[in-house]
Amino acid sequence: MATPPLGSILLGTSNPVRLRDWYTAAFAPDGAAFSEVSPTMFAGNFGDVGVLIDGRTDVGDKNPEPGRVILNFHVEDARATADRLNRIGVTWLGELEQREGGLFGTLIDPDGNYIQIIQFEKG
Amino acid sequence: MIADPPALSMSASLEHGAHIRTVVLGSRAPRRAAAWYRRALGLSGPDEVLRAGDVELRITSRADVEPTAVEPIRTVLNFVVDDILEIEARLVAMEAIWVRELESTPWGIIGTVVDPDGNLVQIIEPARGTLPWSAKGREERS
Repeated sequence: MATPPLGSILLGTSNPVRLRDWYTAAFAPDGAAFSEVSPTMFAGNFGDVGVLIDGRTDVGDKNPEPGRVILNFHVEDARATADRLNRIGVTWLGELEQREGGLFGTLIDPDGNYIQIIQFEKG
Repeated sequence: MIADPPALSMSASLEHGAHIRTVVLGSRAPRRAAAWYRRALGLSGPDEVLRAGDVELRITSRADVEPTAVEPIRTVLNFVVDDILEIEARLVAMEAIWVRELESTPWGIIGTVVDPDGNLVQIIEPARGTLPWSAKGREERS
């Protein structure tokens, strides 16, 4: 059996507009990362994976378990990404640092989800 | 109720921007979780590092998560499958818990189960072609 692809990830949130705007500012500075499915649902692609931001009334304002699911965003220039993230005023769990294999940083989105930015060394 | 995938066409994408290449699941029982994903969905890979299409599903041991997800609706993993009835049969044989049994929708057949850590896992067999809301669908694999 072929390996089924992970087509998309749905993020449940109490504030979908805030989350959409944050991910757009963080990773799509040119805008237009997300299309509006409904006033409370937004869909975007980050490479091979779709991200669906789903406004819900049955989740709290903050993720009670941010270590449960962590999305790793791979970028071509992690330092430029980090600079942009700092300009929009994000909260870092672990600032960008050189580790074996590349640059790694962990930040917290407005819902309290942990996400990582990674730039692998070439070669 | 988990939202259905949107049926609208979605052209927005990031050609040169950030790409999600790995999803890390924090677990108190990563081996059990990895075994479940192998058996249920046929994911493959060494130890607790599994391949799901072009994305890596990495299951790591974390002490800061409960044995069962506290708020599972925070994150739902949507897997695109070729033969959803085959997957359903596997899940039934495994006595998986269904949040939503298989249901036909205009864009395909969808069902939702709970993994051993309480995460919500959705399986989708698209009606035809690629899913409008997903960069990768079954079109490359059929």
